[in-house]
Amino acid sequence: MNDKESDLAIHVDNLSKSYGSFLALKGIDLTVCRGEVFGFLGPNGAGKTTAIRCMLDLIRPDSGTVSVLGRDPQSDPVAVRQHCGYLPGELRLDENTSVHSVLEFLRELRGGGKDCQRRAKELAEQLDLNVRSKIKNLSKGNKQKVGIIAAFMHCPDLLLLDEPTSGLDPLIQQTVLEMVKESRRSGATVFFSSHVLAEVQAIADRVAIIREGQIVEVGKTSSLLSGRAWRMKVIFAENTQIFAEKIEALPGILLDAMSSDGRELKLIVDGEMDELIKALAGYHVESIETERPDLEEIFLSYYGEVSERDYLEKSK
Amino acid sequence: MNKFYIITRYSFRRSVWTILGWGIPLMLLGIITIPFYDLVAENERQLRPVLESLKPLVKTFIGGEEAEQIFTPQGFISLRYFAFLPVILGIYGSVSGSGLLAADEERGILDFVLAHPVSRGQFFWGRVIAFTFSLSCIIGLGWLGLWIGVAKAGSMNFPTFQLLLPYLSVFAVTWFFACFSLALSMCVPSRSSAAMISGIVVLGGYIITTLSKAIKGLESWAVFSPLTYFQSNAMTGLELVPFFKLLLVAFFLLFLARTGFGLRDIRVAGDGGWKLPFIRGS
Repeated sequence: MNDKESDLAIHVDNLSKSYGSFLALKGIDLTVCRGEVFGFLGPNGAGKTTAIRCMLDLIRPDSGTVSVLGRDPQSDPVAVRQHCGYLPGELRLDENTSVHSVLEFLRELRGGGKDCQRRAKELAEQLDLNVRSKIKNLSKGNKQKVGIIAAFMHCPDLLLLDEPTSGLDPLIQQTVLEMVKESRRSGATVFFSSHVLAEVQAIADRVAIIREGQIVEVGKTSSLLSGRAWRMKVIFAENTQIFAEKIEALPGILLDAMSSDGRELKLIVDGEMDELIKALAGYHVESIETERPDLEEIFLSYYGEVSERDYLEKSK
Repeated sequence: MNKFYIITRYSFRRSVWTILGWGIPLMLLGIITIPFYDLVAENERQLRPVLESLKPLVKTFIGGEEAEQIFTPQGFISLRYFAFLPVILGIYGSVSGSGLLAADEERGILDFVLAHPVSRGQFFWGRVIAFTFSLSCIIGLGWLGLWIGVAKAGSMNFPTFQLLLPYLSVFAVTWFFACFSLALSMCVPSRSSAAMISGIVVLGGYIITTLSKAIKGLESWAVFSPLTYFQSNAMTGLELVPFFKLLLVAFFLLFLARTGFGLRDIRVAGDGGWKLPFIRGS
C-alpha cells in the first residue's frame, strides 16, 4: 500500500456487477479520502446499494477491484467490517427480540466493550428510542434508529450509510445529520447514499452521481454548485421583445421563457454575467432575481427528459 | 469472545420454542404409546393369529417379517414408536435445515448480520452447531418420554443406555435430512423449495424403504433411501456401518453447503430465481 493509497478510505476501480442479464454496475471508479463525507446519489436501481454491498463482501463483483480502508473486502472481509459501520437501505431485524438484545448481539459480534455499550445507550437516548421495546412493535422510523445505533455505536473508521434518514421524522433527521458531522469531526469517513439531496448538499464534502450503473459526475459539492448555470428572472417596465431577440447573441446566455406581455424574461446564465448586465443597462429594469441551482437540480439534470445540460449543449 | 460461540449461543436461544414445540409432543408420544405394550402382551393369544393371517404386502405396513416382534418389549418399541420417528423428525430436519441460513436471508436479516465482523464460516458453523444442540435437546426430551413410558409400563425393564441407542440412529437420520435440505437451500432459489424437495425425499424414502421389504424390485432403489440406514430396532444393538454411512454423507452435504454459502452472493431479502435457461426465457 503506497502513501496515496493509505489516504483513501475507499478505492473502487472498474467495478462491474451483474444480476443475471441485468448489469447493475458498469465499471465504476470511485475514490473516497479518509475523513471526508461523501454523498452517493442516484435513483432506485442506479447501483448505489450494489456498490456498498460489494465494499462489505456481501456480494462479489464480476470484475474490478475494491479496497476499503486499505484492505480487500474479499480476502479480508472481517477486518474490513470490523472498522465499518453499515446501515442498509432496507433494514430488517429479528422481529421477536428486543432492541436491547439486537444491539447486544451486534456489540458482541464487534467485540465491543463497556464503551460501546455506553455509547449505544447514549445514542438511544439521543434518538429517543426505548431499548426495552420488541422489534416487532417498532415503527419503521424506530427500526431505522436501531440500525443507526448499530452503525455508530463502535465509533467506526468508515460509515457506510444507505439512505440513513429514510423513515425518520425531521427532528431525528437533523440529529442523524449531526451525528454524521460529529463522526467526521472525530476523523471518521462517511460514505452515504441518499435521495434527500438537501441533506447531501448540507453535509457532503464531495458527491458522486450514479446513473444506470455508471458514475456520471464526481466532484466537490461546492464546485458542482458553483460550476453550474445561474437562473435569472428579469422584469422590465415595458415590453422588451427586441431585447429578447438580442439576448440570443450573447455568449452563454439562454432565454428560457418569456411572459406573454414580453415584460418578464427567464434566463439561464452559463457564462460571464458582465455582458448581460451591460446589455440590460439600456433598458428600464424593475427587478432582477438570480438563483444558483441546488444539488437537486443538478441531480435532475442527469435524469430529466430534456435536461438543462442537454439544452445548453444543444444551444451551443 | 469467539464469534462462532456468539452465533451458536444466539441461534440456540432463538430455537428454544422450536425445541419445546417438537420435543414436548415427542415426549408425550413416548409417555402415551409405550404403556400400551401391557395391553398388547395381555392379548397376544388373540392378536397373533390375526397377524399371521395377513397378506405379506399388508403386513409390510406394520413391520413386515418383523411384525410378530410386536409381542416383545423391544419389538413393540421398535415398531410402534421408533418406526415413525424418522419421518416425523425428518420433516423437522428438512424444515430446519432449509431455514438455517435461507430463512434469515429471505427475511433480509442475514444481509445486516453479515455486514458485521463475522466470517461466513463462523456464521455457518455457529448455526449448524446451534441446530445440532437443538436437535439433541428434542431427542433428549423424546428419550425422557420413552424412559417415563417404559417406567409406566409394568412389563418393561431396560437400562437407560439401551433406550438411547435407537435415538442415536434417529439423530443420524434427522441430521442427514437437515444437511440435505441445507445444501439444497444453497442451490435452489428459495427455502420453501429446498424444504419441499427434502420433504419429498423423506416421504418417498419411507415408502420405498417400507415397500422394498415386500417388493423385490424395490430393493435396488432402497439403497438410495436414507431411511434404509435407520435402525428402529437398535435397542438390540446399534450397527455402526449404516450409522456412520449416514453421518458421512451428511458431512459431505454439509461441506457442499458450506462451500456454496462461501461463494454465493447474499441477497438483500426475498427469494432467488431459477437460473435455468428454459425458465428464464419464458
